[in-house]
Amino acid sequence: MTVAVRIIPCLDIRAGRVVKGVNFENIIDAGDPVETAERYNAEGADELCFLDIDASYENRSATLSTVEAVASQVFIPLTVGGGVSKLQDIERLLEKGADKVSINTSAILDPSLVGNAAKKFGSQCIVVAVDSKREGEKSYVYTHGGKNKTAFETSAWIKIVEGEGAGEILLTSMDRDGTKIGFDNELTSSIAKDLSIPLITSGGAGCIDHMIEGITDGKADAVLAASIFHQKEITIAEVKNGLASKGIEVRL
Amino acid sequence: MKVGIIDYGASNLYSIDRSLRYLGANTLIIDEPSKLKEVDKLIFPGQGSLGSAMSHLKKIELFEDLRIHLKEKPFLGICLGLQVLFSKSEEGDTQGYGFYKNEISMFPPDLPIKVPHMGWNKVLIKQDHDLFTNIENDTRFYFVHSYLLKDFDEEKSFSTTHHGIEFISSIGDENIFATQFHPEKSGEAGLKFFDNFLKWNP
Repeated sequence: MTVAVRIIPCLDIRAGRVVKGVNFENIIDAGDPVETAERYNAEGADELCFLDIDASYENRSATLSTVEAVASQVFIPLTVGGGVSKLQDIERLLEKGADKVSINTSAILDPSLVGNAAKKFGSQCIVVAVDSKREGEKSYVYTHGGKNKTAFETSAWIKIVEGEGAGEILLTSMDRDGTKIGFDNELTSSIAKDLSIPLITSGGAGCIDHMIEGITDGKADAVLAASIFHQKEITIAEVKNGLASKGIEVRL
Repeated sequence: MKVGIIDYGASNLYSIDRSLRYLGANTLIIDEPSKLKEVDKLIFPGQGSLGSAMSHLKKIELFEDLRIHLKEKPFLGICLGLQVLFSKSEEGDTQGYGFYKNEISMFPPDLPIKVPHMGWNKVLIKQDHDLFTNIENDTRFYFVHSYLLKDFDEEKSFSTTHHGIEFISSIGDENIFATQFHPEKSGEAGLKFFDNFLKWNP
């Protein structure tokens, strides 16, 4: 008996619409954010993740009005990311109804942002999103929505932000993103075994078995997916029933 | 009837405000002592650190006035709002209001669990309370915290929850009720809980 594994649909947002790409490219429209959020809430989503995918690249803040509209309709935890580069950005997102903010590019540019944010708002509020891509035997962190490679190896970077006071890690495999061939469980489990904070696995979910493997093999505390939920290929309830049938604790 | 939500500078008070408004309640954000008189019930939200919350309340001169209203009005403390009722916390050795002497401690470091305790966990209801009306035993609520109340007066402990160890997840004492979980983030169960609070006449 313990805390339930979380199923987190992700809404990638561009210009006020939900969008979805493959390997971070070929972006297509996938619906209205508020309608999509309401549907997931009704289906039993445990949290919602809301990423303004252009915010960092175009150097602007996440669309605050969209955040507010979603937060007024759903009463489950809402993580918002995209263009978070200073403490004031976090404060504004919290005011608009975010419960946690996810920091990606700006954490690389200034790792002390994670520490300062955790001190001011509490660790539980600070999610560090890590976009990771394989290169031979190693995996490297990318920023700016997957556009720029950094010198950080994924595992080393995650230890740094854990030390800074991050409350949670959202690890996305860029190699698997949108491919529906399953999470990169080898990468995730290698990170999870040394991590004291919760880990969300992301990138590649295509069926219920992938979700199960993300927990049993990937050792993640939560699974995040976008494509399969947007395209109504499987529902959140089906995923939860699948996990429950393997003895994994879920909120039904 | 108006519900006041305490603003101590760093919290998700707007999530609570939205939930209450969704249920049709009148709310007022309390950011100065004079506003305390205008409300019938009080909610102390939960997010941020105890130390900075206490120093912010003192800075805006709300700390002592709130102590008086805490004893008179139906009060709901959420997460940090539970911890402020106690005398001390391991979190930076901060002093709360000290109504109760038990210590707020960290999750023991040697347990095979993730901290913060983040996610939906079961609330095992130990005693009936108006705030649990129409909420089934073992319902999952949303938690996110690193500090906990391990031991408390049994008569005032209303539920427990298990994450590595069993801890007290809600307490009640006359006009006071406080939870370690976040009703404002607990979907339908949370809205039901808030609705019970709005109807509550201790």
